Amino acid sequence: MRMKLKLKTVFLLYFVVSLLGLFYALMQLGQHCDCTDQLLLKDRTVSQLRRELQKLQEAFRKPSESEKLSKNPSLPTIYVVTPTYARLVQKAELTRLSLTLLHVPRLHWIVVEDSPQPTPLVRDLLAVSGLAYTHLHVPTPKDMKLQEKDPTWLKPRGVEQRNEAMRWLREMAAAAAVEQAVVYFADDDNTYSLKVFEEMRFTQRVSVWPVGLVGGMRYEGPVVENGKVVRFHTGWRPSRPFPIDMAGFAVSLRLVVAHPGARFDRSAQIGFLESSLLQGLVTMKELEPKADMCTKILVWHTRTEKPKIKREEIMQKQGMGSDLNVEV
Amino acid sequence: MSSYAIISKLGRTCYVTAISDDRRHILQESVCGFKHMETFSTQYVSSRHLPRSDVLPVIYIITPTYTRPVQKAELTRQVSTFLHVPNLHWILVEDSPKRTALVSELLLKSGLNCTHLSTETPHSYKPRGPSRDSHIPRGTMQRNLALKWLRETFQQNSQQQGVVYFADDDNTYSLELFEEIRATHKVSVWPVAFVGGLRYESPKINVFGKVYGWKTVFDPHRPFAIDMAGFAINLQLILSKPQAYFRFRGVKGGYQESSLLRELVTLQDLEPKAANCTKVLVWHTRTEKPVLVNEGKKGFTDPNIEI
Repeated sequence: MRMKLKLKTVFLLYFVVSLLGLFYALMQLGQHCDCTDQLLLKDRTVSQLRRELQKLQEAFRKPSESEKLSKNPSLPTIYVVTPTYARLVQKAELTRLSLTLLHVPRLHWIVVEDSPQPTPLVRDLLAVSGLAYTHLHVPTPKDMKLQEKDPTWLKPRGVEQRNEAMRWLREMAAAAAVEQAVVYFADDDNTYSLKVFEEMRFTQRVSVWPVGLVGGMRYEGPVVENGKVVRFHTGWRPSRPFPIDMAGFAVSLRLVVAHPGARFDRSAQIGFLESSLLQGLVTMKELEPKADMCTKILVWHTRTEKPKIKREEIMQKQGMGSDLNVEV
Repeated sequence: MSSYAIISKLGRTCYVTAISDDRRHILQESVCGFKHMETFSTQYVSSRHLPRSDVLPVIYIITPTYTRPVQKAELTRQVSTFLHVPNLHWILVEDSPKRTALVSELLLKSGLNCTHLSTETPHSYKPRGPSRDSHIPRGTMQRNLALKWLRETFQQNSQQQGVVYFADDDNTYSLELFEEIRATHKVSVWPVAFVGGLRYESPKINVFGKVYGWKTVFDPHRPFAIDMAGFAINLQLILSKPQAYFRFRGVKGGYQESSLLRELVTLQDLEPKAANCTKVLVWHTRTEKPVLVNEGKKGFTDPNIEI
C-alpha cells in the first residue's frame, strides 16, 4: 500500500513539474531576450566588413600601374610565342609561366600546342589566365617527333609550332596596320624575370641578352664592345652564325612581316635552329644588346624533371590507377 | 628597418643570435655540439602591388632555400606567383651561416612583405650529392626557425588572423590554392601532384566531408601521409602549441610532416579543401640540376655575373 502511494506521488509530482515547465516555456515565447552584447559585436563586425569591402572595391576600381600601361597604345605589344605539348608537368609549367606573364603590360600570349586539335586542358587554362591570348595548334610530323627514350637533343622541338605562330602573326599584320611590336619565343619550362620583357619591348630589329644555365655553362651570351655585339660567349660551337639560345633574343614584328619566308628550319643541325631564323633577318652588327650591355642574367634555361610515377604505372596495370578525371 | 634578434633555446638544438642594428652583427657560439652562426632581420616593405586588407587573414609562407645554380631562377618565379596574392608575408630561410647578398637583393626588389632568416644545417645532416636521401630531411632546421620566429613575433591572440604554409622553392602553386589556404581554422589539407610515385596523392574524404585516411601507395598508414605542400596550419594553432616543431633526428622517410602535425591536430580536425580534395592546385615539380660541363675546373664564365 505504501509503495503504491509513493508511486502515485511520484507520478503526480512529475506531472506538476512538467506542466510548470511547459507554462514557463510558453511564457518565454515572444519575449525579448537580453542579447545586446552579441548584437553589438555583430554590428561591429558587419560595419567593419562593409568598410573593408568598400575600401577593396575602391582600390580595385583604380587601375594598377600595370593596367594603366596596358591601356597605353604607344607601348609596343610583346607577342610571347610558347610551343607546348602534353605531358605530366604541362599544366604546372603553363600555370607558373602565366603568373609571370600576367605582370607584364601589353602582352599577348600565343600558345601553340603540338597537337592535331586544341586540348581542353590548355583551352581552360588560357580562358581563366586573365591574359590576352591566341590558342593555336599544329602537330609535329610523326617522323620528326622525339620518342620516349630519345635524348632531348636528338630532334629539334617546337619548330612547327613557332612557325605556325609566325604565320598567324603575319596574317594578323596583313589584316591591320603593323604596329610596333616585338616577338619573343618563350618555352614553357624556362624562367623569366619581369625585367627581360621591358628590355625587349622597344626592339627595332633583333635584340639580344645572355641566358643563364644553358650550353653547359652558368650562362651564355653576346659579348659587347662599344655598344655593339662583337662575338658570343659560349662553350659549344662558337662558330655558329648565332650561337644563342631561343630565350636570348627577340625580333621586331615588322622584321617578321618584312621577311615572309623567314622561319625556323626543321632540318637544321643541332644548335643551329636559332641561326636558321636569324641569319635571314639580321647581321651580328645589327643586333641590339640589352640587359646592361649583356652583363645581367634576366632569363634562365631551367628544365623540369620528369616526375617519377612508377607506383602510378603499377597501380594502373592493376586497374587501380588514380582518377584520370582529376586533372594534374 | 633596423634588425633585431632573440636569444633562445630549443631543446637540444640551440639558436643563438645577436642584437644588431643595420650593421649585422654575427655571434658565433658553440652550443650543444653545434656551431651556429645566425643573424636575421625583418623587413616590412611598405610598397605593395595589391590593396591590403586589415581583415583578410595573412598567409605566412615559409620557404627554406639553399644556394645552388637554379636558386635565383626558382625564387624569381616564386616572387612572380606571390605578387598576385594579397595579404601574403614571405618568410624565406636560407640554409646558410649568414644571409646571402643574392637573396637579400632579390627580396628587396621583389616588392613583397617578407622576413629574411638564415640558419645552417650542420654538415653531417646535409644531403650529399644528387641523391635525395629521405632520412636526411632537407629544410627542417630552416622551417623550425621560421616557426620560432612566428612564435616570438606574435602573441597568442584571437585578433591575429593568419595561416602558415610551407612552400618549397621548386614547387608550382596556383592562385586558387592560396584562397583555399586562407580559410583554414585549424589544419586544412588538399591533394598534391607528383608525389609518392603517383600522379597525385590525396586525403581520403568520407560522406561527411571528413578525412578518414590517405590515398597513397607509399606508407598510407603514416599518421599524416601528406606532402609538405599539402597542408596549411592556422597561426593561432601554432602559437597555442609552442612545443610543436618538425622533428629533426630519428625521423623515418616520409614522416617529417607527421612529426609536426601530430602535435597539433587529429585526423578528425582536418579540413578538406580543393573541392573536397578532388582538384589539384599544387604540383611537386622539381627542377633539373643543370649540367655545367663546359665551365671546366677553372670556370669559363665571369663569376661576377650573378645567375
